[in-house]
Amino acid sequence: MGVLTNIGLISFVALSAYLLILAGEMSFGQQGFFGVGAYTAGVATAMYGVPLPIAALMAMGAGAAAAFLVGLPTLRLRGLYFAMATLAAAEMLRIVFELIHFQREIDGEPVGPDGTQGFRGIRWVFENGVEREGYLAMVWGLLFVVVILFLIVERSKLGATLRMLGEDPELARMLGIHVERFKLGVVATAGALAALGGALYAHHNTYIEPRNFDIMLGVHSLAYALIGGLGTVFGPLLGVLIDIGALEGSRVFHGYRMIVFGGLVAVLLIFRPRGLLDERVVHWLKRRLA
Amino acid sequence: MAKAALGLILFFTAFPLLAQKVQGELACRLTKTDFVYDCMIRISRGGQPLPGASVTLGADMPSMPMAHNVKPVKATPGKAPGEYAAKLDLEMPGEWAVKLRLRGPVNDQLILLYEFDEQGAQPVRRGGRLPRK
Repeated sequence: MGVLTNIGLISFVALSAYLLILAGEMSFGQQGFFGVGAYTAGVATAMYGVPLPIAALMAMGAGAAAAFLVGLPTLRLRGLYFAMATLAAAEMLRIVFELIHFQREIDGEPVGPDGTQGFRGIRWVFENGVEREGYLAMVWGLLFVVVILFLIVERSKLGATLRMLGEDPELARMLGIHVERFKLGVVATAGALAALGGALYAHHNTYIEPRNFDIMLGVHSLAYALIGGLGTVFGPLLGVLIDIGALEGSRVFHGYRMIVFGGLVAVLLIFRPRGLLDERVVHWLKRRLA
Repeated sequence: MAKAALGLILFFTAFPLLAQKVQGELACRLTKTDFVYDCMIRISRGGQPLPGASVTLGADMPSMPMAHNVKPVKATPGKAPGEYAAKLDLEMPGEWAVKLRLRGPVNDQLILLYEFDEQGAQPVRRGGRLPRK
């Protein structure tokens, strides 16, 4: 059950990286917004008694705002430069988390972010009697809603615009699309999505610390989209299933998993640069199913 | 009326106990198998041992949350009250956030940060101080 919850939680940040890839941008910094969501929701529930659903919405707002502020200067950059800028922004956010010491005394105990010591006591789930099965259902229910929204968008004009933007931004500009404004919206939405995952992670774990949001999470979230495929929203989910579900869950490569995972990414980037479920496979599957 | 008064008295007598924080600590030693540790967990509430809890032990690497974690195992009651034993099968040495899921007298989750190596497990020190339990 823990593995299933982890698959659900990490899928949010994988989908946020996927959304940016669709718009033609690779971000190594989605873990920063995941962290913003985790801290925002944790502070809201543990320190101020805000119910989790409202805290999750607050986290999404904070994640979107942080991503918007990062996107404002960095979207002028292209390709590798944008990727490096997002990584730098995420590292800056992580250092900010290390510097935050903001606590309140609750029941005689200090509660709140305490720099590198982390943030303990995010106990909304326990205080409200939510069982593990219930929380798993909550995570997967929200993920289901997100996937449905992705499917609706992918079939709409908005989805076509998004893919066109990723393929050829100059053509999109000539067709009258305000590329910068559109991309800024995508960046903010991706930030909100990562932040939602962070809010759910903080309440699942009850403890967060700045190191939870370092580059490893960002690299993995990007890798999931690249392994699973960029042809459909199910691609990043397949990537998460392969890594967390098959490699981590089965423990077949005990201790050597990261080597296998790295090798898998390298092989796929050579032979299937747009992942297992790329546009061609998705088109073929659609024709077969129609 | 009398029952309600008795209920209120019982509630307020029990309240300080309910509000008391549950704490845990860990003592582990490496077994003959690589990365497998025999661990003894001590759970207390308000400084007193907490027996009769159902304890499940898991672990997560803080630098790679969700992707590097060990399968939770159920701890068995130890010899002394408040003591529980479990075998922890880690993927590698290093810093792990050990997750204790408690059921029974309390429904809670404790996170204990420990550094695992050949010697066993030591609490992680950050900024020259030990993290709160």
